[in-house]
Amino acid sequence: MKILIFACKWCGLIGADGAGKKRIQLPPEFRVIAVECAALVEPDAVIRAFASGMTGVAVLGCHLGGCRFNDANHAAIKRLELLKTLLDATGIGGKRLLISFGTAHEGYQYAEVVKTFFEELKTMPSTVAWTASL
Amino acid sequence: MLEKVKEIARTVLAEKQADGVLGLMKGQWDIIQPHIFESPVEVDALVIEPKWLLAKMAMTVLRSSREGYRLAVVVRGCDERALTELVKRNQIEKERLVTIGIACTAEQAQACICDRPYPQKLDCGDAVAGVDPFSIESVKELLAGDGPARMEKWANILKRCIKCYGCRNSCPICVCVPCKLEDQVWVETGVIPAEVLSYHLIRAFHLSDTCVACGACQEACPVNIPLMALQLSMREMLRETYGYDAGLDPERNSPILYDLCKEPAAGQALPDWVNSLRKDDES
Amino acid sequence: MNPDFIKTICPYCGVGCGLVLKVEDGKVVGTYPDKEHPVSRGTLCIKGWSAHQFVHHADRLKTPLVKRGDTFEKISWDDAIALAVEKLQSTAARYGGDAIGGLSSAKCTNEENYLFQKMIRMAFKTNNVDHCARLCHAPTAVGMGQTTGSGAMTNSISDLAGAECILIIGSNAAESHPIIMGEIYKAADRGAAVVVVDPRKTAVAENAQVHLRINPGTDIPLLCGMMRHIIDEGLHNEKFIHDRMEGFDELKTFLRSWPVERAAKECGIAEEEIRRVAEMYARAKDAAAVYCMGITQHACGTANVHAVCDLAMLCGQIGKTFSGVYPLRGQNNVQGACDMGALPNVYPGYQSVSVPAVKEKFEKAWGRELSAKPGLTVTEMIGSAGKDIRALYIMAENPALSDPDVNHVLESLTKLDFLIVQDIFLTETAKFADLVLPAVCFAEKTGTYTNTERRFQLLRKAVEPPGEAKGDFEIICLLANALGLDFPYKHPGEVMEEIAKLVPEYGGIRFDRLEKAGLQWPCPDLKHEGTRFLHDVQFTRGKGLFIVPAYTPPFETPDGEYPYWLSTGRMFAHYHTGTMTRRSAFLSREMEGAYAEMHPEDAIKAGIREGDRIRITSRRGSIVTAARITKRVARGSVFAPFHFTEARANILTNPVLDPISKIPEFKACAARIEKEPHEKHER
Repeated sequence: MKILIFACKWCGLIGADGAGKKRIQLPPEFRVIAVECAALVEPDAVIRAFASGMTGVAVLGCHLGGCRFNDANHAAIKRLELLKTLLDATGIGGKRLLISFGTAHEGYQYAEVVKTFFEELKTMPSTVAWTASL
Repeated sequence: MLEKVKEIARTVLAEKQADGVLGLMKGQWDIIQPHIFESPVEVDALVIEPKWLLAKMAMTVLRSSREGYRLAVVVRGCDERALTELVKRNQIEKERLVTIGIACTAEQAQACICDRPYPQKLDCGDAVAGVDPFSIESVKELLAGDGPARMEKWANILKRCIKCYGCRNSCPICVCVPCKLEDQVWVETGVIPAEVLSYHLIRAFHLSDTCVACGACQEACPVNIPLMALQLSMREMLRETYGYDAGLDPERNSPILYDLCKEPAAGQALPDWVNSLRKDDES
Repeated sequence: MNPDFIKTICPYCGVGCGLVLKVEDGKVVGTYPDKEHPVSRGTLCIKGWSAHQFVHHADRLKTPLVKRGDTFEKISWDDAIALAVEKLQSTAARYGGDAIGGLSSAKCTNEENYLFQKMIRMAFKTNNVDHCARLCHAPTAVGMGQTTGSGAMTNSISDLAGAECILIIGSNAAESHPIIMGEIYKAADRGAAVVVVDPRKTAVAENAQVHLRINPGTDIPLLCGMMRHIIDEGLHNEKFIHDRMEGFDELKTFLRSWPVERAAKECGIAEEEIRRVAEMYARAKDAAAVYCMGITQHACGTANVHAVCDLAMLCGQIGKTFSGVYPLRGQNNVQGACDMGALPNVYPGYQSVSVPAVKEKFEKAWGRELSAKPGLTVTEMIGSAGKDIRALYIMAENPALSDPDVNHVLESLTKLDFLIVQDIFLTETAKFADLVLPAVCFAEKTGTYTNTERRFQLLRKAVEPPGEAKGDFEIICLLANALGLDFPYKHPGEVMEEIAKLVPEYGGIRFDRLEKAGLQWPCPDLKHEGTRFLHDVQFTRGKGLFIVPAYTPPFETPDGEYPYWLSTGRMFAHYHTGTMTRRSAFLSREMEGAYAEMHPEDAIKAGIREGDRIRITSRRGSIVTAARITKRVARGSVFAPFHFTEARANILTNPVLDPISKIPEFKACAARIEKEPHEKHER
């Protein structure tokens, strides 16, 4: 299992930092990429992550209305929700993409989000069909 | 109907509404190919079958022709929608484009699984009712089953891809230069099958809010990948959530370009907390 | 200026797809698929979509060039023709006509091939004319000729979609003949069983129901094992064999020595697999056998073809729709070049040069005395360069990349007294030429191509040639007239009429009949609609013949010093020697440089990682290329595409020849792999 987390510098990343400072135990299978804003995470990047063999991808941003860049994350959520539709249609499952805005700016919140996501992914079927490469 | 189209084309040329008419020509030995008719006399050779999308050709013709050159295009419903999208995306100047809209036959609509087999501006023929793509067996089958079953189905289908780029090349709205699909950051080069996830999903997603369901990608696919079905659910989501249909309204841009206040989402497509937050935001 | 749209035929592989070229201001600026084409039906592969990109490349040859010292100098056409005539005639006078050789081209049209072989045969009274079919489907022409009487695909491409079982042996159609692959998938969607036999796990194998990963060069054991099982189970078509075949008893006796157990051991697969596949093929109502270079490019290539035909005939799967044997021809017009007699042993229409009546017929028609002695093949001509062959005229071929043991080829080319190369680019071969003649590409000429399903198709001129370049048709006529022959042709259509008179099978082929969808030969008269499948009532040779396939394992097998199997082939974005594809921006972007595939376990053992520079060495030479680590190849095997001039895979290949068809063994030789130190940035 591999999880990739795109964390907004102003929210998710602070949460991730906090979780680290508090020494909260987290599942080890995730990597965090810091981004300036959740809106910078193109859906293409999420697709690329799945193509590279990720089991799940999380995009953590500020709550709506709290974005440093005005309404940038509004557009982000629209795009990512649309991507979920595509992931559902192709059977990968929209649930593998976690969009969470404004829910992870504290260490314990962050840990909770990651743990819940991890538990949920564990119940999902494997992605071998997709990633079985030549 | 063909005679009517020819008549309109002649009028368009005679009245200088356009400098050329892009359509299909039945030439010597019955060969049919795209052609730009520039004089009313030439128009005798115009035909409207088979279905041959001309939107992208119209775009390239307009790009390379002299300034002020106006082009009329014989369009079906899908062609018209594609041209509308191209205009919206600043690929074609609206003033230089004239359309001659023709309705498709019921058989053609069935063959294309088209839910709107007629243009908005209908000049010839009678509009027939569209086909609901979700009522078609083959589509239902592709989108049926639980996650893993569907994943396996799609993985097996997409694995056939020979990376001809036909889907991209033939798509009337795929116009970006440079294209991400050519970049090895996104799609590994030199290997087939193309990295199934990144190639096909990136392509499908780029067209999520522009796809006009013309089916050109599917027709150009040498290995019969049902590419349209990838697009359907996203089109449906946009329709349900935002009441948006690509290519219909020339004045309305894609809702996913705007924030939730200007283009609010309706229905179940967005999670609850988004809506609650939006209310907070407004208050 | 508004664009014109011109329908023509794709210049790459033998499928012969329809293109619509977009022409603006005298330049080809785009390619679209032809919606109405009977084979491609509005689809194209990556090469087809990019077919226009090399047409106006800056490297195109624009004037005749003559070599002075080490450099080329421009000369006029008159001087070039005069020089060619003088050199060819003096060579012929001094050493005899048999010292002249001509390599015709599967890239040129039927008319050009016809004129080329006619010129060589008439002017020098020699049969030293051949082309690259020698390197791909010579065993098909010979092998299928012997068993059925006709060395061509028995059915049409569209028939594949209706087959119930498709056996694909040694063909990576998904990369090499993508449009045909589409038809195979159509059959699969209808529930047909697709069985792939290939040592590599190719894209085709990936999508097949069954993949038999046999050891390299063990096709005959596999097919014999299958046939033995079919006979043991009584699944063979006795009525068909009784009515239409001969030689069954010999085959049956021979198969006693190939029990499934022995076959399985040779092939390195489970017995069950062979039995299962044999039954799938034999029980299917309509079964098709598709094969390609994996069958032919072996030192037992002809026998391999015999074995495939034997299997098809054993089950009665020839002479009806949706079945048959499908050799997938490589070049766009390799079928045509063979048909037009650009072969050392036959005149147009496969009429043997050594049959006196045939020779007489052509002597009468052409008005010159001809040679009855079969000429030399490509590999033999190159091999005897400087000895028996003194002057060579190469039309649009690139043996410096495509022939086995390239180092030896290059050495041979330097030994020639005089070498004429006629091509569109200064190819690796042209660099060795004494005289280079600039020719035109597919978009600049009119003529016909014959695709793999025997379909004559019309090529239409879209743009004017660059500079002073002339069509191959015109060049041949100029040269032939200067050589004292009478070639009064003004238009390829006239040549086609002459061909129609000389070859009964093409009697009904005329340019004006080809406009719409082409015609599949045999087409004996002007009313005939063309032939969808061959051998319907009886075989072309009368009765079909079972030939006992003579199995010889590959000549070189891996040993302590050279522990890997090496095979060569194509990849999807490039075409053969890359002359055209590597000059197409879109295609060279897709695959820029050379690579070789090796198995992860071998790579770990050798300490090689993805992208590392590796040196592959065989007994003939070595190349440096980039490693691609993939499970596509089997353990202990490497695969190298041969498109790349900086790492010519054919430096490594073994020039050992099939005794009957003289095809070299491209698909199997032994090699060694070492990691190349990083250092120097030579490119």
